[in-house]
Amino acid sequence: MTVQVEIGYSHTVGFLANQGRGFNNPVDVAWDSAGVLYVLNRAGPEVGIRLPYKRVTICTVDEEYLGEFGTGGQGDGEFWWPSSLAFDSEDRLYVADEALHRISIFDRQGQFLGKWGTGGSEEGQLNRVSSIAFDSEDNLLVSDSLNHRIQKFTKDGRFLASWGEPGEGPGQFNMPWGLCLDGQGNVYVADWRNDRIQKFEPDGKFLQLWGGSGDGEGEFNRPAALAVDPEQNLYVADWGNERVQVLSPEGKMLAQLRGDSIASRWADDYFAANPAEYAARLAANLEPELKRELKSGREGRREESANIEKLLWGPTSVKLDSAGRIYIVDSCRHRLQIYRRPV
Amino acid sequence: MTRGPDSNKATALMAHLLRRAGFGATRDELELYLSQGYSAVVEELLHPEGQPELEDDIIRRYNMDQNSLMLIESSQANWMYRIVNTKRPLEEKMALFWHGLFATAYGKLNHAKAMVNQTNAFRRCGLGHFRTLLLELSRDPAMIFWLDNKDNHNGAPNENYGRELLELFSMGIGTYTEDDVKACARAFTGWTIANADYMSQRASRDSIWPHGRLDWQFLYLPEDHDDTDKTFLGNTGRFNGEDIIDIIIQQPATAWFIASKLYAFFVADTPDETAIQVLADEFQRSGGDIRQVMRTLFLSDFFQGQQARLARVKSPAELVAGTARLAGSHQFPDWSTVNLAMDVNFMGQEILNPPTVEGWHTGAEWIDTGNLVERINSAALEIGDAGQPGVRAVIDRIRSQGEVCSVEELVDLCLEWMGQFEVSEITRQGLLDYAQKRGALHFDRQDQVACSEQRVGEMLQLIVATREYQLA
Repeated sequence: MTVQVEIGYSHTVGFLANQGRGFNNPVDVAWDSAGVLYVLNRAGPEVGIRLPYKRVTICTVDEEYLGEFGTGGQGDGEFWWPSSLAFDSEDRLYVADEALHRISIFDRQGQFLGKWGTGGSEEGQLNRVSSIAFDSEDNLLVSDSLNHRIQKFTKDGRFLASWGEPGEGPGQFNMPWGLCLDGQGNVYVADWRNDRIQKFEPDGKFLQLWGGSGDGEGEFNRPAALAVDPEQNLYVADWGNERVQVLSPEGKMLAQLRGDSIASRWADDYFAANPAEYAARLAANLEPELKRELKSGREGRREESANIEKLLWGPTSVKLDSAGRIYIVDSCRHRLQIYRRPV
Repeated sequence: MTRGPDSNKATALMAHLLRRAGFGATRDELELYLSQGYSAVVEELLHPEGQPELEDDIIRRYNMDQNSLMLIESSQANWMYRIVNTKRPLEEKMALFWHGLFATAYGKLNHAKAMVNQTNAFRRCGLGHFRTLLLELSRDPAMIFWLDNKDNHNGAPNENYGRELLELFSMGIGTYTEDDVKACARAFTGWTIANADYMSQRASRDSIWPHGRLDWQFLYLPEDHDDTDKTFLGNTGRFNGEDIIDIIIQQPATAWFIASKLYAFFVADTPDETAIQVLADEFQRSGGDIRQVMRTLFLSDFFQGQQARLARVKSPAELVAGTARLAGSHQFPDWSTVNLAMDVNFMGQEILNPPTVEGWHTGAEWIDTGNLVERINSAALEIGDAGQPGVRAVIDRIRSQGEVCSVEELVDLCLEWMGQFEVSEITRQGLLDYAQKRGALHFDRQDQVACSEQRVGEMLQLIVATREYQLA
């Protein structure tokens, strides 16, 4: 492994909770102007008893639990397959739902303000909207996964632009998932089933691509999300490889984050209340050696992650704040792993 | 007397094969298989590795709960999705067979992915040598947990796994002594799982905290193994578990036991001792090569003959998955995949969570008055949806026959499309009587098209309610 930038594990936020303090299959995180975190819980499957697990958890990066809002359902303010969230410049929270093909809007307290979006393949329609991000003009960019394109809307849902089509060529997509923007408004897209990252000018003109299928340096296995720092380094949630890769602007791997989580404060509270289980945990080897055939199989890294708790398992989002924190949404482990980078 | 809409015996035989070795086939699939010929299709089915593996990345992306498989519903849904979409039908059918025979249940484990891992072993080894399968089973963490082998210690044996290995998994009751059970159990001392104490605590408390389940791994502890002499089925030595399995494999009782189970699952609910002996002989001749036994079964007269046709009641999983395959539904992941699993549950077959170590009571016991209503309603709902590609295809095919479709054509084409080539005269007449009430379908009149298409759906719904459709 090549490590050329100083990135260190900071701490973990999270705990598996069906409701209340904790997360359930978190898929994305965003923060408001005060730095308060909003964590989007996908939960599932969609059976009655589990619908309330779908919600937005509000907390701080220091694990102060502030509340939650939303529930599973298809009515106004409810979530079915919530996929992504983003704040506009007025601290209004936009939540994408890839089952309901819509964007719902909330204030910081979780009050439902409105929604827009319709399902379909025509211009301005959506088919499983997987990721959203605002540009500097408060327009919303959307990865429209099953229409294999990126669309741009005003924040009240008026269609502005669209680019992309199904395919493997430059500017084409195969079920794009995450997207992000750099300081110049360039758009980066995790072209999920093409195992690559693509970069576009703000108007959608193709600029560059990185990657290819594999688990080596600079290769991807179904990349889910990405972020870009001011030096144009890329942080890619390499979902199928169960890691985050940090790439230079030229695509060279600078670091690989496989996961380093130690218990969160919320987890410590649980252990304190369940001393017998905690004692057994302390006596256990939490990093067991896996059988070679398990590690080397097609699902090797996934199996490793299923066995070793500290590792990332299904990273679905990665975001950077201005204080140098890297937030990795560790969906199958119901937590955020937070790292630090030099700023 | 039976009378089929399709007099082609080869087609009926192929449909029979695919119902048993898989989960049924659409009309188009049958045509493809027919062009290959029966023997070639049997070989293809017996070698699932020749067909592409199901890519599950899309379902794990959109149905995120199926990425970690922490929950039983998610894991059941994942298996149903596999069954509906697999290109390797016999692989899934064998997994279902072994799951029913080596019945292990989520209810005690509280660990759904451990159950999925076990079924993956059945996929890998289900058509291989029985020795390999029993060895995998004995090392399978879910089984070790299920039958308490983690509590089977040198000097303090727990006989649960040793007993069931002989009674329910290989030889059958009455073919061994109580001393054999004790020796068997001692041979498997030290076969446990890593971090057994912590994992037991978590399972008994159903703890998913702090960050979800942790997978289980097999662990052999030589210091906890009873390495002294044991006498097992007339053999004496310092046997370990592998030696015990080697002895089990050689027993005629094992050959008969597995043959009888395969017969009941793949041939008929009513046993035929002559046929079972043929399979048992092949088991012994081949040294427990399951693929070879299955080849013998599918190529046998007792399987291909009329007496085996519709001689089994479909299990709920077969019924639900087979109907979805015919309807062409659930081919792309959406949130309704879990409904397939829920339907199977409601019909009395909670896959990954069988009721006891004996598995499910099959055959006629799949059906009681409540279950029958559930079976018909579930299948009718799936097949009556004209938006599904499989249903649309039958409508298009009927329309392509001409602008007017007679009552007889409607019934026969729908039966054919549903793979029902051998319905009784009573059944066919019942369908004709129903169709006759509203006469021929008219696609030549615009105001009749929607109604005619709806009537195709209704006919398909009526067919899934027939006795024949409930049978395999």
